[in-house]
Amino acid sequence: MTAIEIRNLSKSFGAVRAVDDVSFTVEAGTVTGYLGPNGAGKTTTLRSLLGLVTPDSGEALVNGRRYAGLDHPLNEVGAVLEATSFHPGRTARDHLRIMTTAAGLPASRPDEALEQVGLADAARKRVGGFSLGMRQRLALAGALLGQPKIFILDEPANGLDPAGIQWLRGFLRHLAHDTGAAVLVSSHVLAEVEQTVDNVVIIAKGRLVRQGSLAELTGNGGGAVRVKTKDDFAPALRAAGAEVEEVEPGVLKVRGLDAEEIGRLALDQRVLLTEVAHERSDLQSVFLELTGEGAGA
Amino acid sequence: MTNLIRAELQKLFTTRLWWAMALVMLALTSLGLVFLITTAGAPAPNGQPALPALDDPAWLPLALSNANGNIFTMILGIVLMTGEYRYQTITGTFLTTPKRGRVIAAKLGAGVIIGAFFAVVSLLFTAVVAVTAVLIGGGAVDLTANRIPQLAVGVLATMILYALFGIGLGALVRNQVAALIGGIVWAFVIESVLSSFPALQTVGKWLPGGAAQALMSIDFDTGLGESNLLPAWGGALVLIGYALLFAVVANLTTTRRDIT
Ligand SMILES: Nc1ncnc2c1ncn2[C@@H]1O[C@H](COP(=O)(O)OP(=O)(O)OP(=O)(O)O)[C@@H](O)[C@H]1O
Ligand SMILES: [Mg+2]
Repeated sequence: MTAIEIRNLSKSFGAVRAVDDVSFTVEAGTVTGYLGPNGAGKTTTLRSLLGLVTPDSGEALVNGRRYAGLDHPLNEVGAVLEATSFHPGRTARDHLRIMTTAAGLPASRPDEALEQVGLADAARKRVGGFSLGMRQRLALAGALLGQPKIFILDEPANGLDPAGIQWLRGFLRHLAHDTGAAVLVSSHVLAEVEQTVDNVVIIAKGRLVRQGSLAELTGNGGGAVRVKTKDDFAPALRAAGAEVEEVEPGVLKVRGLDAEEIGRLALDQRVLLTEVAHERSDLQSVFLELTGEGAGA
Repeated sequence: MTNLIRAELQKLFTTRLWWAMALVMLALTSLGLVFLITTAGAPAPNGQPALPALDDPAWLPLALSNANGNIFTMILGIVLMTGEYRYQTITGTFLTTPKRGRVIAAKLGAGVIIGAFFAVVSLLFTAVVAVTAVLIGGGAVDLTANRIPQLAVGVLATMILYALFGIGLGALVRNQVAALIGGIVWAFVIESVLSSFPALQTVGKWLPGGAAQALMSIDFDTGLGESNLLPAWGGALVLIGYALLFAVVANLTTTRRDIT
């Protein structure tokens, strides 16, 4: 069964269409990055999935059911939400104990989960004195309490230091690839998830822009080739059927021809090229391109 | 549901508010007792004794009714609900228990226990001090006479019901400061006016404060005319009615809202 399924989900806040007819799925054993710039609708989607926000139309299902209908939600889904809040006067361990009690989980789980996220030393400290990174780890411990097989994480890397981010990457991969969990993790900073995710779903202004495996999306960078020349090469390229964009004076971005074809054309035209290279299209540039943030930059 | 109620109790007892509240309650109770002890039997300006003397059997019930700390259980009830919104812990609460009506129900269940706990603390404290005072004052103590059992049950029930009242109010208002100010102004200003003057009691007896008075059958002659309260059971029903009404309205409104 599909672990997470979002089907034609829409949600408006007043005049703002926060999520607009979004559909995608996340399968067990994979990490899916849910990417989009600020205000794209990521949080709204995840909160709909967790029954905190009621969608206007469409469905958001975990294990084929609505979250609000689950009898033992913590055993099925672990969630970390953006700006997860804790009572500042409560200790980390007490926070988890309350969840454990309410969900009827074994009393040993809080300490085990704190150990897992590396917070065992701070277990009996009040959350009010925690750093942002410690709060994120505590939130993650809460998601681990019921040992679920689905994880829904909204910007979990926020506030983590580089070592923490490195740790989180490894941890998410471990959850998906070793324990077979389905992991859906949102971010607006691509570098954070680029090395972690198997699949990518990109959303901008509430609309799904692209989804696919990481390989598909970064594949050949959309086939663009970067060409450097002092000569006036663009008309010849266009005549050969290419799409040409002058990125900066003397630098062309060419689509529709590969490097060899461009080289031959240059030879025929007696044009001197100082550089011909397939655009190294990391996810960042794909992302900027797809979300329209790259325009003008 | 037992698990959920236990979790709600843990929420209260893992923060410091509860004992601060208990201390303030006991401090105020002590002030009241000091006043009752020092003015016992003292003549009022018009020559009549204003308060019964310590060895008068009527003094002990008076002291016991001073144990009523319903304002504190109301505050705890308000905080139990609004604290979730103030610190946004409501997100985690609803993630753990997505059937939101169950959360409200568990809070009401916890409210009964919290109200009873505070009532017992207040009653025991008052009883120890008051009985000691009576014995020192040369009076005899009979805890089964003079409606004392009824008063104790009245204090217990009132404090429990005010906790529920606070929870219902908090679920409805959500904003902690607004709910606290609203609750306190209501209980101390509006209600005490409406339920003190017999002429206004036709309205006042239907309000939580008047209902609480009826429940405790505090029917002292205030010199303002005969009071017009509901019977004790009627008072209890009115208070339960308020708590349920608020909880149901909260269930239909607040708890359906998006948590963003
Ligand atoms: N409670 C709300 N009331 C009104 N508008 C809202 C509310 N929540 C979200 N929005 C709007 O919906 C849109 C999507 O917001 P959302 O929080 O889902 O974006 P996001 O992708 O999570 O952004 P970020 O990367 O900044 O976290 C935004 O335009 C936001 O202003
Ligand atoms: Mg967000």
